[in-house]
Amino acid sequence: MSYTLRMGKRPAHFVFSVSLALLITGNAYPQGRGGAPDTPRTARAAAYYDITGYWVSVVTEDWRLRMVTPPKGDYTGISLNPEGRKIADAWDPAKDEAAAEQCRSYGAPRIMQVPGRLHIAWQDDQTLKIETDAGKQTRMLFFGAARGQGGGWQGHSKASWELTIGSRGTAPVASLKVVTTNLKPGYLRKNGVPYSSNAVLTEYLDRVNEPNSDAYLVVTTTVEDPTYLNQPFLTASHYKKQASDSGWNPTACAAR
Amino acid sequence: MMLLKHSGFLPFLALSLSAPVFGQGQIAALDFAGRTGQPAGIDLSGAWFPNPGQDSGLITASGALVEYGGIPMNEAGRLYALAWSAARIQGRQHQCMGYVPPYTYNQPGHLRFWEERDPFTQRLLAIKMYWQISEGLRTIWMDDRPHPPAYAQHSWAGFATAKYEGNTLTVSTTHLKRGWIRANGIPQSDEATVSEHFIRHGDRITYLAVVNDPVYLTEPFSRTYTLLRNAREPDNWLYACDDGEQILNRKEDQVEAYAWGQHPFLREFADKHQIPLLGALGGAETMYPEFAAKMKDSAAMERAIKAELTPSSGPPHASRALDPDPQDGEIHVLPVQGNLYMLVGDGGNIAVQVGEQGALVVDTGAGKLSEKVIAAIRKLSEKPVQFIVNSSYHADRTGGNGKLRAAGFDPSVVGSFFSGQFADAGQGATIIAQQNVQNRMQSMKTEAQGWPSDTFLKARRRKFHNGEAVEILYQPNAMTDGDSIVHFRRSDVIATGDIFSTTSYPSIDVKAGGSIQGEIEALNTILERTVYQHDEEGGTLIIPGHGRVCDEWEVAEYRDMLVIIRDRARVLIDRGATLQQVKAQRITADYDDRFGANSGSWTTDMFVEAVYTSLKNPPKTGGRG
Repeated sequence: MSYTLRMGKRPAHFVFSVSLALLITGNAYPQGRGGAPDTPRTARAAAYYDITGYWVSVVTEDWRLRMVTPPKGDYTGISLNPEGRKIADAWDPAKDEAAAEQCRSYGAPRIMQVPGRLHIAWQDDQTLKIETDAGKQTRMLFFGAARGQGGGWQGHSKASWELTIGSRGTAPVASLKVVTTNLKPGYLRKNGVPYSSNAVLTEYLDRVNEPNSDAYLVVTTTVEDPTYLNQPFLTASHYKKQASDSGWNPTACAAR
Repeated sequence: MMLLKHSGFLPFLALSLSAPVFGQGQIAALDFAGRTGQPAGIDLSGAWFPNPGQDSGLITASGALVEYGGIPMNEAGRLYALAWSAARIQGRQHQCMGYVPPYTYNQPGHLRFWEERDPFTQRLLAIKMYWQISEGLRTIWMDDRPHPPAYAQHSWAGFATAKYEGNTLTVSTTHLKRGWIRANGIPQSDEATVSEHFIRHGDRITYLAVVNDPVYLTEPFSRTYTLLRNAREPDNWLYACDDGEQILNRKEDQVEAYAWGQHPFLREFADKHQIPLLGALGGAETMYPEFAAKMKDSAAMERAIKAELTPSSGPPHASRALDPDPQDGEIHVLPVQGNLYMLVGDGGNIAVQVGEQGALVVDTGAGKLSEKVIAAIRKLSEKPVQFIVNSSYHADRTGGNGKLRAAGFDPSVVGSFFSGQFADAGQGATIIAQQNVQNRMQSMKTEAQGWPSDTFLKARRRKFHNGEAVEILYQPNAMTDGDSIVHFRRSDVIATGDIFSTTSYPSIDVKAGGSIQGEIEALNTILERTVYQHDEEGGTLIIPGHGRVCDEWEVAEYRDMLVIIRDRARVLIDRGATLQQVKAQRITADYDDRFGANSGSWTTDMFVEAVYTSLKNPPKTGGRG
């Protein structure tokens, strides 16, 4: 039997939990063989894998809901509550255009589902920046201390390397976890399925490599929104690594 | 849990962990007796179910007809799907079709994953997966074993090996049966390989699959699924399936298929969801962002549709399948089942039955490696070859007759009444075949030593040999006028000769009495004798003339293909089409990437000509004797 510990959760066995607490309060970043640095390394230096570069979305999941704008009232797969359905059924893209809110379906809870390309780079040692050509959005993923307040389409995103630790002292494995709050209300789908400012977006950004050297960025998404959803909305999507910025085509948000 | 019971271990563990331990140097310090020596990975054990929120319209595993958007199908894949009629699943062999990965994760049922460890070393041997729908059982080997050779049997779950990479279990799967990418007719060929990545986040697994299918895809098809942990034991794990008589009086050579360009539901899905039809027809470009902009030009899209619905002009495509024959000048031996082995390497498969008596061999290959064939058989049986059965007169079936006969011995005729009647009684193995095989070999003046010495005319020649009943069943006017299949009843193996192949269209020899209709009837004879073990898998195994060991699923698929091609040809013939006009229609376009050839001894053109000719002028036959 092995124990899996998630940061911030308490193991069941007290003595064992002391041991693991010591472990995770120490320097939990990868080190060179035999290395024992005194100061914590930056998020960039601690990265367990590299997701920087250009990525193109591979639209094979929910194709008909992503590649074209679904008809009004099509909220297949999303457990909307009555209030959410009421808003979705009242969707009017002309009103969004008139209000200059064409980017409602380009907010963080949906932007990784929008067909397009990503450019990911380290803004600084503690901040990953994700730019999208579709809708020309920019996401800032902050590691460590909080910076900024959010309130826009992309909200405020706090990033961390979530470690899974084996009980036998084996090397931990990690996923890049991003929690986004303080969102400006927007759409989970382009046809007006809403999320509110109370929505919390939790994402994991994992990189996997294929034997033929293709690399994929796998995005695991959970949207929790007590205002409009009966239960969390779970999706996954993926991007394929590009060798260059080929195809990068910044386009403005479109409401329809 | 065992570790925690040993209180003396805890101080050691605490001390060890109090230092930063993520560097590899510290990991080495933690090494202790009992480690498995394998890289640690995430534990996927438990009961899971697919996330119903994503691709919810596909969770029943089917999707709508002509809902192909986002799938990088090539022309053959699209044409296959456009010809597919849902009525086909009423066919006996299709009712209990299994699920292949990754399609299996579209299922609405439960999944259970668990580990299998060596009881003594606790080394992780395999990760097991069971899926409720179709009761699939999958073994993912974790012990670095090699994948089987290409001529080994395929299965729904395939042959899978895996390793941990960071937080991911990466699985590599080969040897899959022909299944679905989506059960609305989008095929995943038996040449496909699948790479899978299982990433666990608490009670959720995100799964990325990448399908590489040279037959039906233009580029890898990747997609994600989400599996959710089932906190409660679901207690419903079965999925009973037993094929039944859904349509009485349905003919065995009836396979429903839409004519290209005449799909009755072509626009149904697209219209319902307000999607341009060109997008719904799929293709690699529909996976990428640029396609969204392209779809806005509806007029241009409509103009492009016609080209997607029928075969392109030009020569037939050649097969993209790998040759399962190693072609290395060696004879390779594959245990099949019971007393049966398959020998691969001498231009055609050889079936060898061994036991207390001398070996019984079905066909002798091309004869270029006969010494090695004889040596391989000697390793399987101390006794010399006693009987040789030829499934036809063709050179890839009889080429080694002379040498194998000379190396063999049939003690059953020595000292009997027969020994006085045959000058060569007991001088080598006895060669059994339908009479027309002997006639044709004699008329071709092949080496007399290789001629059948024991011929028959009736529908069935039977023997009890090496502890089991052996039936040699005449199949008139299939590949030739002298074909036989051989059924080893106790071993439950059928050697088909060239009537069934996994590498090419059947090389129907019209001048020697072969015909497409006889070929289809022969395949149906095989299917009348097969019984699958579970959901179109296992049970009766098939040794084809060329290619890999199969079971009834592959034979049924081959039969379906030939019926569909026959029916297309027949429609054109009834309209007065010439052979050239039939060829120009590319009536095999959805199968050419799997079985076609533009060079070599048997091309697609030759096959289409054989179909056309034998339909226009069916052979006059004496029937099954």
